Amino acid sequence: MSERDFVPPIEHIDNSDVDPLGAFDTGEGPQFRLNFEAEERELLVRLLGEMKDLLTSEPNEQTAPLLHRLFPPAFHDDEEKEAEYQRLMREELVASRVAAVDSVSLLLVEEGRTLSEGETMAFMQSVNAIRLVLGTMLDITDDDAAEEADMNDSPEYSLYGYLGWVLEWTVRALSGT
Amino acid sequence: MLVPTTLEPVRLEEPDVDEQLANDRPWVVIVWNDPINLMSYVTFVLQKLFGYSDEKATALMLDVHHKGKAVVANGNREEAEMHVFRLHEHSLWASMEHDE
Repeated sequence: MSERDFVPPIEHIDNSDVDPLGAFDTGEGPQFRLNFEAEERELLVRLLGEMKDLLTSEPNEQTAPLLHRLFPPAFHDDEEKEAEYQRLMREELVASRVAAVDSVSLLLVEEGRTLSEGETMAFMQSVNAIRLVLGTMLDITDDDAAEEADMNDSPEYSLYGYLGWVLEWTVRALSGT
Repeated sequence: MLVPTTLEPVRLEEPDVDEQLANDRPWVVIVWNDPINLMSYVTFVLQKLFGYSDEKATALMLDVHHKGKAVVANGNREEAEMHVFRLHEHSLWASMEHDE
């Protein structure tokens, strides 16, 4: 990972050197660039597809705990209000997550595509959601488990670590604007 | 004094507490600790959603991390529900309750 640190997976494109007066400002706000290899983009697109399947399928025994983490309760002590909240908001939350996943899948297919701030936020949300589901599957339920996950280099844990790395850089890129 | 006053004190009727007003009692929005979401991510989401400074968002994130939870916003029920929804969109473990 040490060498890769010098090639961030995503970065804020700063045009101020070549265009100090902002003469070529397209009015689109900050722009971001993804520096993924083809295989990384394929991996992310596949994971996004799996996330969409999870979001749009009927829950079963295996997926229920994962969905619970993606759709947590809003009211812990009031079943009536909680039922009302889920009835009103659940569908909207599914739609919001699916829309983000769809838009990110599309933009990952294009190599060298620059992203707007909104697209980068959608990318961040989707990568975080995938990482959350993977972490739930790996039973990372407390800080000790999270620390152990960092040390484990089996494939699932490596993927979990990779997504954390991508996410960390995405937050950094967005924070710099 | 024995001389009756001409102006009898008028007994003011206590206004009924409007049910709507009772429902508008401030709600607090809580983010709970979870071991998966990255600290930098939680801090950034709090800044983005609530316009908090880096300093304030970091302090709230650390409260979540060390104390298990933190109140990150408040408002009437509708506002609190919208905050919770947006936190859920970003996969933070958020809930709301009456501020008591």
